[in-house]
Amino acid sequence: MPISAADPLLDVTGLSSGYGKIRVLTGVDMTIRAGEVVALLGPNGAGKTTLLRAVSGLLPWSGRVHFAGHDLAGFGPRDTVKCGLAHVVEGHRVFTQLSVADNLMLAAYDLRRTERAPRVEEVFALFPEIAAKRSESAAWLSGGQQQILAVAQGLIRRPRLLMLDEPSAGLSPVLVDRALDVVQRLREGGTAVLLVEQLIEKALALADRVYALAHGSIVLEAKTSEADLPHRLEHAYMTGGNR
Amino acid sequence: MDQEATPPVTDLYAARADAPAVPSAFSAALPYLALLVVGLLFPLFGGGYWGVIATRACVYWVLVSGLNLVVGFAGQIAIGWGALLTLGAYTTSVLAAGNVLPALPPYLALAIAAVVGAVFGLIVGLPALRLRTFYFAITTLGFANIVTQVALAWQSVTGGGVGVPGPVFPEPFSSQWGFYYFCFALAAICTWMTANIVKSRFGRALTAIRDAEVAAEASGIAKPRLLGTVFLFAGAVAAIAGGLFASLQSYITPDAFTLDLSVLFFIAILIGGRSSILGPLLGTILLTVLPEFSAPLVAWSTFLYAVLLLVIVLAIPGGIAELLDFRNRRPLKSNRAILPRPDLVARLLDAAPETLTLTLDQVALSFGGVRAIDGLDLEIRPGQVHGLIGPNGSGKTTTLNVISGYYAPQRGAVRLNGEALPALAQAARAHMRITRTFPTPRIVGSASVLENVMIGGTIDGRGTFVESLLSLPRHRRDEQTLRDTAMLALTAVGLERLAPVRADRLQHAELRFIEIARGLMLRPKFLLLDEPAAGLSAEEITRLATLLMAIARAGTGVLLVEHHPDLIFDICHQVTVLNLGKRLAAGTPAEIRSHREVVDAYLGG
Amino acid sequence: MVTSIVLSGTAMGCIYALIAVTYNVMFSASRVFSFTAGTLGMLGGVLGSLFITRMGLPVAAGFLLALAGGALLGIVTEIVAVRPVLKSLDQHLYVLSTLALALMVQQFTAIEWSTEPLPFPRLLDIARTEFDQQFWLPMLACAAVIVGIELLYRHTMIGHAFLAIAEDNYAARALGLPERRLRLTSFALAGSIGALAGFAGGEMLLAFFANAPMLTFYGFVPVALGGMGNNRGAVVGGLLLGLFQQSANFLVGGIFASVAVFTVFIIVLLARPNGLVGSALQRRV
Repeated sequence: MPISAADPLLDVTGLSSGYGKIRVLTGVDMTIRAGEVVALLGPNGAGKTTLLRAVSGLLPWSGRVHFAGHDLAGFGPRDTVKCGLAHVVEGHRVFTQLSVADNLMLAAYDLRRTERAPRVEEVFALFPEIAAKRSESAAWLSGGQQQILAVAQGLIRRPRLLMLDEPSAGLSPVLVDRALDVVQRLREGGTAVLLVEQLIEKALALADRVYALAHGSIVLEAKTSEADLPHRLEHAYMTGGNR
Repeated sequence: MDQEATPPVTDLYAARADAPAVPSAFSAALPYLALLVVGLLFPLFGGGYWGVIATRACVYWVLVSGLNLVVGFAGQIAIGWGALLTLGAYTTSVLAAGNVLPALPPYLALAIAAVVGAVFGLIVGLPALRLRTFYFAITTLGFANIVTQVALAWQSVTGGGVGVPGPVFPEPFSSQWGFYYFCFALAAICTWMTANIVKSRFGRALTAIRDAEVAAEASGIAKPRLLGTVFLFAGAVAAIAGGLFASLQSYITPDAFTLDLSVLFFIAILIGGRSSILGPLLGTILLTVLPEFSAPLVAWSTFLYAVLLLVIVLAIPGGIAELLDFRNRRPLKSNRAILPRPDLVARLLDAAPETLTLTLDQVALSFGGVRAIDGLDLEIRPGQVHGLIGPNGSGKTTTLNVISGYYAPQRGAVRLNGEALPALAQAARAHMRITRTFPTPRIVGSASVLENVMIGGTIDGRGTFVESLLSLPRHRRDEQTLRDTAMLALTAVGLERLAPVRADRLQHAELRFIEIARGLMLRPKFLLLDEPAAGLSAEEITRLATLLMAIARAGTGVLLVEHHPDLIFDICHQVTVLNLGKRLAAGTPAEIRSHREVVDAYLGG
Repeated sequence: MVTSIVLSGTAMGCIYALIAVTYNVMFSASRVFSFTAGTLGMLGGVLGSLFITRMGLPVAAGFLLALAGGALLGIVTEIVAVRPVLKSLDQHLYVLSTLALALMVQQFTAIEWSTEPLPFPRLLDIARTEFDQQFWLPMLACAAVIVGIELLYRHTMIGHAFLAIAEDNYAARALGLPERRLRLTSFALAGSIGALAGFAGGEMLLAFFANAPMLTFYGFVPVALGGMGNNRGAVVGGLLLGLFQQSANFLVGGIFASVAVFTVFIIVLLARPNGLVGSALQRRV
C-alpha cells in the first residue's frame, strides 16, 4: 500500500501519562496512517495499555495527540469515539446482563434512533458467528465469541482507527486465530488498526509497521518487511530498552 | 548535584535554608500550653453562663478525645458513639441516685460507668472488623437510636420520660467553678493520654490500619486486638463524659441525648482533621461555643455543623489540622536524589542461620476455573536474591500472595525450614520475620516519612497500651529505640533527609524506598518484593539494585518478582521463570537468558 | 389482630423496600451508598403535606411536585456529595459528604416545616376500610416501581446503559457511553423513588422530619440483607423486616421490638456481611 504524503491519521508526540504519582509513559512518539495496521509490542509493564487509554481519553495525559484533524487535548472517551477512534479494551469485556444484540445497540447509543438498527445489522453481517446468537445473553458466549463481540461493538461507529488491546489474551490458540482474523478483514475494509499483542509472530504477520515499547518509551520502530526484525525485538526487550 | 556524603537537613528545602526543618518539642506543645493557661485562668474573666459552656466543652472533649482515636486515627466511621454518652450518664446517675441498688458514692458510680462504657464500646465497635464502612456507620446509628429508646422505655430504672437526677460530686467539686476545674483536669488528662498514644507504636499502627491496611498486616499489626483496645478506651472515656454531663445538667431525660449530639462529636473530629489532637480539640471548642453567640444559631446549630462538614470534606479534607500545618507547606526541592548507604544495611539486619530456607512445595491454587499456580516448587535461600519472572498471568503475583499469606494453597504448602506456614495469616508472617512490599507503595500519606518507617518496627515494641497511655519509662525507651532504628533504616536507603516530611509529598520512587526501609525494620529473614522497579528511572533502578544486593549480603533471603530484565539479570543469584502457573525454567541468570523456551514464552509463539 | 399485623407489616415493608431500592439505584450508578436515601423518604411525606394540605393543590399536582422535589434532591446529591468525592483517593469521603447533605436537609425541614409530626392528607376520597388505602398505596407504589424498573432495565436503551455502567464502568466508558449524564439521571430517578416511598406511605408515617433517620436505618436493612444493588433481594428483605417489626410491636411492645429488630439485624449481618444472597469481596493486593 503506497504511503501517501498526506498527514497521518493519528499523530502522537511526546505523550506522557500514568496513574497518580506513577509515571508510566515518558515522551512517546507514534504515527499511524489511514488504512495501516500497526502493531504495538513490548514486555509487560511497558505501558502499552496505558498508551491506548491515554489516546482514547480514559486517562489524563500531556503532550500532543492529533487524530483526523482534531486535537485530542481534554477529550474523554465519548469525544474520541465521535471523532472516529474506537478502543476495544483488554479482557474481552462485554455486558453479560444484556443480549448480544443489545450489547451492539448500546455501542450505538450516541447515534440517532433510526440509525441504530441498520448499523447493528451492518456489523452482524461482518461477524456471522455472533449474528447467529443475537438474542442470547452475552454471558453464554465463549471467550473468543465475546472478543469478537467486543470488536464488533468498536466497529458500530465506523471508526477510522480501531485500537485493540491484546485480543488474544486468555483465548485458546484456535480462538486466537479467529480473533486476529478480524484484523485482516478490517484492513481489507480500509480501517486502520493499532494492535497491541503479546504474540509477536502473529502480530508481525498481520501488521504493516511495528513499534516496540519498553519502560514507557518507544525503543524500536520498523516496517514489518525489514530483515532481522524478531532478533532486533528480542534485543530491545531483553536489554530493557538500551539500543 | 548533591555530591556530599551526608547532606545537611537544610539542603532539602528550596528556600530559607537557615530555618530548622524539625520543630522542637516546645513549639509543638505551645498551643496546648496556651489552652492550658486560658483554661486555668478562665474563671477570672468568664461569667457564670460562660462557665457552663466552658465546662460543657471540657466534658465533650473528654468523650471526643477517645472517639478521636476511633474516628480520626483508626478511621472507623462511628457516627452513633453518642450512645455511650447516654449509657454513661444514665449508669452514673442511676447508681448515684439509688434507684436500683443502694446509692453509691459518685466517684464509684463514675468508675462503674467507665467499665460499662468500655464493654459497650467494644460491642458497638467490633462489627467494624467485619462490616464495610457504610454498614458499620449505619449500625452505630441504629445503636444510638436503641439506647435512647431503651432509656425512654425502661421507666423503673431510668425514670422514662421523667428522667433522673444527675450525680452531685462532693466538695470541692460541687460548686460551679469547682466542678469546672474537675472537668478541666479530666479533659487535660485525656489530652495528655491520647497524645501519648498518638506518639506511640499504637497510634502509628492505627493510622496504618486506616490508610494502608495491607502494609499494616505485612508489618505484623493485629487489627482486631488493636481496635478492640481502642474501643475499650474510647467507650470508657465516653461513659465518664456521660457521668460528668449528667452532673452538669443536674437532671437528665432521654431528649437530652439526641442524634444531633452524637453527630456533633463526630463532626468536631472531622473538622479538626484526622491524625491530629489539636485539630479536634479546637473543633470541639468551636462547635460547643459557636451556637452560643446568638440565639438563632442555637436552632440552626446542627445545620451549621453539617455545612461545615460538607465544606471540609469537599475543600479541606485535612480539616483545621491541615490549615495549621505550616511546616508541611514549605516547598521541597524537586531534584532530590536517593542515595542508599549499603554499608549501613548490615548494621540493621541480623544474619540468618544458614539452614533457614523458605520453600514452596507443590503449591497449587485455582481461581474459578483458572489454574493460577499449578504444582509449583520454589526455594528461597538466605543471602540470595531469587528472581521470579514470567509473562502476564503466569502466576508471579499470586505466588507472592500465597507466600505472604493472602491466599491459601489448595494443594501443597509453603514451608519455613520444612514446617508448613499457616495459611491466611498475613500478620503472623511478620513475627516469622517474613515481610513484603507492594506493587503500588502502601504508605500513610498524612504521617511523616519517619513515622511510616517506624510502623515497620511495631511488633518489636515491649510496652503495653497502658504504659503508652501513661508515658511510662518502657514506652519511652521503645520510642527512642524505634526512632533510632528507623533513622538508621532511612539512612541506609538514602532518604534520611526526608524524615520529617509528610509522606504524601514524596515522589513515587521515594515511596518505594520507604517501603523497603519499613520492611527492613523487621530485620527480615526473608524479604519479598513485588515489582519494586516499576516507575523508577534507570538511575534509581541501579541504586535499588545496590541496596538489594546489600540486603542479601547481610543474610536476608530476597524474592524479587519483576518485569525489568536489568534488575533480574544483574543481581539475581537464581531465577525461576513461570508460565501459566508452572515452572518453565530455573537456574542462574546466564542460563535463563539463553534458554530458548523462556525467550519464546516472553515473545509469544 | 393477625390481619392488622399483616397489613401494616406489608405496607411498612414496602416503604422500607422502596427506600432500599433508592439506595440500590444510587449504588448501581456510583458504587457508593448515600445517606440521603432516608431523607428522600421523609421529604416525600413533608412535600406532600406541604403542597396538598398547606397550599391546597390537587392531589395529582402535589404528587408530581413531590416526586420532582425528590428528583431534585437526588441530582443535588450527585453533584454536591458524590461526584466530587468519587475522584478522591480517600475512598470513604462519600459517607461524610452524603451524611452532611442529609443532615442539612433534615435540619432545614425541622426548622422551616415543623419539629412535630404533621398530618398527611388522605389521598383518595374513599371511606376507610380494613384494607385501607394507607396500606395498599405503599404496596401499589412498591409493585409499580419494581415492575417499572424491570421494564426500564430490560427494554429501554437508557436502562441498558444503566446496567452497563453498573456492571463494568470501565468498559462502558471506553465504549463512549455518557457515564456522567447517566449517573446524574440515575440519581434523579432514585430521588423520585425515595420521595414516592414517603408520599405513598404518608398516612402511616405522617409528615415528620424525624422520619429521615428512621428510614435511613430501616431502609438500609433490606439492602444489607438482600445484597448490594440487588433490588429483588431488597423487596424480600423489606417485607421480612416490615412483618417482623410489626409482629414484634404487637407481641412485646414498641421499644423492645426495635431492640429485637436491631439485634437480629446485627447478628445476621455479622454472620453474612455480604447479605443473605452474598457476593464476592474485592481483591486487596
